[in-house]
Amino acid sequence: MKRRNFLKLTLSTIIASQLPSTAFSQAASSTVAVAEGTDYASITRKVITALGGMKAFVKPGNTVVVKPNMGWDRKPEYAATTHPAVVKAIVEECLSAGAKKVKVFDNTCNDARRSYESCGIPEALKGMKNVDVRFIEDDRFKKVALKGKFLKEWSLYGDALTADVFINVPIAKHHSLTGLTLGLKNVMGIMGDSRGYIHRSIEDALCDINSVVKSHLTIIDATRILTKHGPVGGNLKDVKVLNKVIASRDIVAADAYATTMFNMKPEEIATTVAAHKRGLGEMNLGKIKIIKA
Amino acid sequence: MKTEGGGETGAGKRVRFFTASRISQLFFLALFLYLFIITDYRGRDEISIGANSFFRMNPLVLASYILAAKSMTWLLFPALLMVALTALLGRFFCGWICPLGTLIDLVTRRVPKSGPIRFLRGRFKYFLLYALLVSALFSVNVSGVFDPIAILIRALTFFFYPLLGLAARSGWSGLYTLAGDGRDSAFFLYDFLRAHVLPFRETLYPLAFVSFILIVLIFAIERFERRNWCRNICPLGTLLGLLGRFSLFRRIPGRLCKDCGDCRKHCPTAFDEEVLQSGDCIRCMDCRAACNFGRVNFRPGMPSFSKDGTVKQPVLSRRLFVGSVVSGIVMAKGLSFRKPQTQDRLLRPPGVTDENIFFQKCVRCGECMKVCLRSALYPDLSFGGITGIFMPVIIPRLGYCEYNCTLCGQVCPTGAIPRLSPEEKKKSIIGAAVFDRNLCLPYAKKLNCLVCEEHCPVPEKAIRFERIGDIDYQGKKITLKRPYVVEELCTGCGICENKCPLEGRSAIEVFSRKLKRTV
Repeated sequence: MKRRNFLKLTLSTIIASQLPSTAFSQAASSTVAVAEGTDYASITRKVITALGGMKAFVKPGNTVVVKPNMGWDRKPEYAATTHPAVVKAIVEECLSAGAKKVKVFDNTCNDARRSYESCGIPEALKGMKNVDVRFIEDDRFKKVALKGKFLKEWSLYGDALTADVFINVPIAKHHSLTGLTLGLKNVMGIMGDSRGYIHRSIEDALCDINSVVKSHLTIIDATRILTKHGPVGGNLKDVKVLNKVIASRDIVAADAYATTMFNMKPEEIATTVAAHKRGLGEMNLGKIKIIKA
Repeated sequence: MKTEGGGETGAGKRVRFFTASRISQLFFLALFLYLFIITDYRGRDEISIGANSFFRMNPLVLASYILAAKSMTWLLFPALLMVALTALLGRFFCGWICPLGTLIDLVTRRVPKSGPIRFLRGRFKYFLLYALLVSALFSVNVSGVFDPIAILIRALTFFFYPLLGLAARSGWSGLYTLAGDGRDSAFFLYDFLRAHVLPFRETLYPLAFVSFILIVLIFAIERFERRNWCRNICPLGTLLGLLGRFSLFRRIPGRLCKDCGDCRKHCPTAFDEEVLQSGDCIRCMDCRAACNFGRVNFRPGMPSFSKDGTVKQPVLSRRLFVGSVVSGIVMAKGLSFRKPQTQDRLLRPPGVTDENIFFQKCVRCGECMKVCLRSALYPDLSFGGITGIFMPVIIPRLGYCEYNCTLCGQVCPTGAIPRLSPEEKKKSIIGAAVFDRNLCLPYAKKLNCLVCEEHCPVPEKAIRFERIGDIDYQGKKITLKRPYVVEELCTGCGICENKCPLEGRSAIEVFSRKLKRTV
């Protein structure tokens, strides 16, 4: 090595070490893994492996929150809620990576009991050790100063705030107000109070929340997607089976890529655009590395 | 029957606590509470058909239903069986089964007595029963307001059960404040209680206080004499008394013995005079257990008609007849005024298509309100007029009708709320949603919202929206999504009104519809 190169390398390393870690992880994590197949557990494991395996996210002894969409009283085939097989595979991966506790919950829109029952997720996770699937308990919400653009303060679910790892597991589906509901929107499930309020400025509100509660890993269930009449659906004609699962460390990149499944561009989804502008992740498909797992 | 503590003198033996009738009472009280608790969503779409047994075997419900609806329903066949049993065995229901009677028995021993109330001593109970039945004949079925089982269920549903839930929840919350996540070690216990005993959601009901006071009054009048409610007021007991008046199974001897007369002291209901009032005897058989001489027996015997004075009070007289008919008609027709502006919002449970038929069949038992998944149903005070008291109405701002739920129709003991399949239920009309554009954000403030549209459970969406290019109040070009209702698809489930994020009044409200075809 020449002296000049040596100096260059040393200097840049020293400078780099002083940069905030996000600057690099941002660049490094704009990788999206996609897997296709009819064995949903297996494709879920594939995308996790493609991102370096669950051990890259979950350290032994960690408390992990896995936040699927369980918001509606609909059976899995209606594509209104995350597929139980996807959730189960993720929870299993967390446990084998050494998680002390995995918590699975959602603040539902329909009656919590019916929604939990119909979506099939609690049923799939029944009897697993160190896994808590519980209904939302009001006393666990904490008022959080968000100091955001639209939301200055809001009640967020304590379990999501204190978790070591937050894994965001939305289902990709149509949503009339925001166009699509994906990872950024799924975080709404940790909000308390009258959430409908944020609809009047939803892009900013979602960015405000996502800036405070970061999804360490976003795994989008696109095994089947709801193309119309979302987010509730209810008609099998609106459901398209894709047999795909998408995963990324970068929630915006995951959302941006998932948008293409609906033959739409990431620019069409205002939430994605707003999040990108606020530095929450990469939406430019040209800059995202895509791994077919 | 065995007795404990022999050797008492003239005072008579002390009656053992666990007599056969007492064991039966406690069993049925436990059964009653069990059925009350399972009348809830516990993870399954279907509820045991036995959940409403206490109403379906209730002859007062049967009599009022037949008079009001002028028809019969298979749901009430158990009540027919009870009628037959009562004709055979007498008014045993009150002494062996009635949970309210059991509770009164448990309370009354601690209450000193001051002597009967004169006013009630006459024929008030007959007057009340007949008036209720006459009112039913004129298609206003209000018997349930005074039915003992309904009174008990309502007091539990509207008052005690939410209170229990609130107490448990605040205890659980308090534990969180004290122990933080450490309370998780007790979670299994709370989880178990919540899954099997506690209400999922503590709903506060209108009329909770009235329901509570009613039951308190029933206990309070125990100050005057034992089983005061049962022997002097209860329309179900009175009806059973009439049915069992000439039953074959009776107490022998039919009057007090000249040399003892202790039966009067032991008898909870029927020995006001020398002669046993057969219609008041609840067949508890305490007198037999207490008799020092082994003289008392309960066995088949020929009913003795009035020649020995068994029937003291005439159960019907001209005055009683005229009085109760007039009161019944007044109750049915004189008090049925309804304000038009509350009529607009009179929303009945799903499947109820005709208000008049609902008035004939509804027992006001509170079962539907107990079971309602999203606490949409509330006991009425102001919507359906005075005679509509305690009947269920939906108040969407408090709770909406869950799209896939059919529980209220399953627990209704008379089919006033019809039992619908999930598919029928999804198409049955409760009302129609209407926007108030003066409040609705996209119209009133040029802000996008669509919370109502998002929640609308109809797969084709009964709330849709149009995109309108507009300029907001800051002069910025915007695209507004303005919602509208497709009335042909709207069932009036009320989730839109419930979820509307405006504070206070909702910008979309459900109004009742005259024509309630299915969508």
